[in-house]
Amino acid sequence: MDLSASAIVGIGRTAYTRKSGRTGISLAAEAIRAALDDAGLSPSDVDGMTCFSTGDPASPLRVSHAIGLDEIGWNVNTYAGGNQVALVMANAASAIITGQAEVVVVYRVLDSNVRYGKVTGAVEVGGFEQFAAPQGYMVPPQWFAMWAQRHQHVYGSTCEDLGAIAINNRAHAVANEHAIARDPLTLETYLEGRWIVEPFRVFDLAYEVDGAVALVLTSADRAKDLRHPPVYPIGAAEGTGAGGMPDLWSDQTSMYSRIVAPRLWARTGLSAADMDIACMYDCFTYTVMATFEDFGFCDKGEVGDYFREGRATYGGDVVVNPHGGLLSEGYLHGLNHHYEAVHQLRREAGVRQVDDAELALVTAGAGPYGGAIVYGRERPS
Amino acid sequence: MTTVDWSQLPPPQPLPDADSAGFWQATANGELRLCRCTNCGHWHHPPLEHCRRCAAPTAFEPVTGTGTIYTFIVQRQPAVVGYFDQVPYAVAIVELDQQPGLRLTGRVVDVDIDEVRIGMRVAARIEPLRGGEFQVPVFAPVAVV
Ligand SMILES: [Zn+2]
Repeated sequence: MDLSASAIVGIGRTAYTRKSGRTGISLAAEAIRAALDDAGLSPSDVDGMTCFSTGDPASPLRVSHAIGLDEIGWNVNTYAGGNQVALVMANAASAIITGQAEVVVVYRVLDSNVRYGKVTGAVEVGGFEQFAAPQGYMVPPQWFAMWAQRHQHVYGSTCEDLGAIAINNRAHAVANEHAIARDPLTLETYLEGRWIVEPFRVFDLAYEVDGAVALVLTSADRAKDLRHPPVYPIGAAEGTGAGGMPDLWSDQTSMYSRIVAPRLWARTGLSAADMDIACMYDCFTYTVMATFEDFGFCDKGEVGDYFREGRATYGGDVVVNPHGGLLSEGYLHGLNHHYEAVHQLRREAGVRQVDDAELALVTAGAGPYGGAIVYGRERPS
Repeated sequence: MTTVDWSQLPPPQPLPDADSAGFWQATANGELRLCRCTNCGHWHHPPLEHCRRCAAPTAFEPVTGTGTIYTFIVQRQPAVVGYFDQVPYAVAIVELDQQPGLRLTGRVVDVDIDEVRIGMRVAARIEPLRGGEFQVPVFAPVAVV
């Protein structure tokens, strides 16, 4: 299927804050209204709505109602974290291309009731987690610190290499007024950061915030008549191994991207070298390291040098996370990466604009599960 | 409203299911048993009712619990209920000797956490879990002979 028969025509978001005091429904409604306004559309044009969540209350049903719709047609609430953002975007494009909807809103919202880094209440745990959660091993930073440790053992990568990723993201966030963390970060400050779970320090973890992001998609034909230049999904790929159980993934020095990258590049006829921008999913610095290697930007173990040499920023080979990513712009579960890709490909990013941006890779996920999508300014002929 | 002291809450308690019941019954008896295919002999963790390779029924069989640390973490900041006052502690993914890729995750005990290494030889030991009737396997280093 040619995903570029659809296009992103509107983007919107709320402020990203530490504690908004607002509900997810209200935050989502604000971002969606902004995205529709950006597209020059109104809520009554919307006949499809989708999000991903882990069960939080701002469902497409409640949110579509909140923006004034008395009924909604195509609606999907995907039970997922950041691992399926690219899939949700591709599904929205597919719904349009297959005629199931004409205008689809994709959104993600996080409010202060949703935090992933800590478990504070008494819990009973089933499923795969029943075996290790009782031993104090239950949250994602722990799972992926395991992977980073393995990479350091096998390839000799270092905490300084992880720091180079955090520093690069932060340098970009300094210029981004929307970012939550804008203090410049030096290697010294990074290394002084408190340990969370070795080998992760505080700067290796995504910055959890309240906020919402929304994108509006419609057909490529209809997109031509709307307010902004359309941004086209060129191709997408998904892949999950080990049944989605992080501890069972055979080689933790690589991630889902080991499966997804060859699939994505084969489908699009593109490669890492073609990308102007790479919005790499960065729940943790190590996620960038492993997936960046897997997508073919550099060889295993070379990410630290690549970032230190300035190849991952303006004037280098590819600009990685020009918004600051989840580490510094804020943890909007990866949908803010898609917002940023569109913003850049429309060439509206101001002082942060990546010169001549034509193509952007956006990855989603970490460990055994994830996907990726390529967006372009031009529709492939 | 009463104030809850989160630090006094117990660790997460397992919710056994039909496939995992044999694992928890064994640990309750102080034994480590893992799920194994009655036909092809393949070990499974997490347990399954039928083998994912040949679809034959499985059964729980005792294992030595010896293996090698594939990777590990040192938890420094309180993150999981029941362990807020236990930091720092080490957790390892252990590849068991029975079969390549057969992994079990648990705390590493009886060793200075700064001494934990990938490749370290360890053996499982069954310990009570605070806050209920369950027992869990933890790992202690074994001397290499
Ligand atoms: Zn079998």
